[in-house]
Amino acid sequence: MLEAIAQPEKLDAPREHPPRRRRRPLSGGVGQLNLTAMIDVIFLLLIYFVVTSNFRTDEGVLTATLPQGTGAPREATELPPQKIELRLTAGVVDDTTVAIQQGTTTFVTFAQLRDSLAAQRLDPEAGQPNGLFEPDNPIVIQAGPNVRWQHVVNAFNACLAARYTNISFAKPVS
Amino acid sequence: MSTVFQRGPVKPEMNMTPLIDVTFLLIVFFMLVSNIVSNERVPMVVPQLEDSKTRELGDIEKVVVSIAPASFSGDARLDAPLDHPGQARYVQLGAGQRFQLTQLPQLTEALRRETQKNPEVEVLLRGDAALYYGQVQPIMDAITAAGVGTVNLVALMPDD
Repeated sequence: MLEAIAQPEKLDAPREHPPRRRRRPLSGGVGQLNLTAMIDVIFLLLIYFVVTSNFRTDEGVLTATLPQGTGAPREATELPPQKIELRLTAGVVDDTTVAIQQGTTTFVTFAQLRDSLAAQRLDPEAGQPNGLFEPDNPIVIQAGPNVRWQHVVNAFNACLAARYTNISFAKPVS
Repeated sequence: MSTVFQRGPVKPEMNMTPLIDVTFLLIVFFMLVSNIVSNERVPMVVPQLEDSKTRELGDIEKVVVSIAPASFSGDARLDAPLDHPGQARYVQLGAGQRFQLTQLPQLTEALRRETQKNPEVEVLLRGDAALYYGQVQPIMDAITAAGVGTVNLVALMPDD
């Protein structure tokens, strides 16, 4: 009798009403597509392209003619064209600055140089019949050895902007 | 239970394994290619111009001669690109061929081989903005010595 009292109900006794197996829906049983793997891969690709897509920067080019020959004067059979000599000199104290000269004229900015060169160009169609120099008049850029490359390219660009076509680089002059 | 007798609608399953295989193949491919592309781009700050007349070179054969600056300190230099040592470190032709500044005859020879392989090739000269002209000019001479008449100087494109 005592035993019977002490023994509680069996925990694992079968329940009277076992849960029914869930019924399949009668209609519209949609199969589930497992998209996880695809999404994984797509995110991987996305990250990859985001990381690698900044290779191209906005760089352009200026086509230039390289210096030819040894610098020796050519035969004086004909009068050579009066070449325009642009002289670039680096600043003494701060060599990131530059002095720009054409003959005795000094320019502060390359925009000034461009405007001056454009005004000297012979171009009847553009209303400049009295210009000194043909558009294919040679221009020589004479830069000092410690002039920064940016200034040299800037001078070249100013000549192009003034619509000259025959621009060359001289050896470094000190 | 055999599937033949399974009741209800068939559960479709997609086999993702080939897709993943192909994707990994693509990843490896692009990693290798991007290495080559980034090798061709020596890190530097190219000149910024006033009233720039640069143009884009279309889809043509080109070989890039890069003159590396003394060091590269990242995009922090963009505000003051000239505030940097003006000595060149090395010259690189295309993606992989590096030359010291004392090896310019070898650069000429390598460039000559490139132009003989493809006479139509355009030569791009990509130099850091802060380089001294005295460092760049011998390299221009070396390019001329290879029989190249014109180079394309690389500079930043103007902002639209």
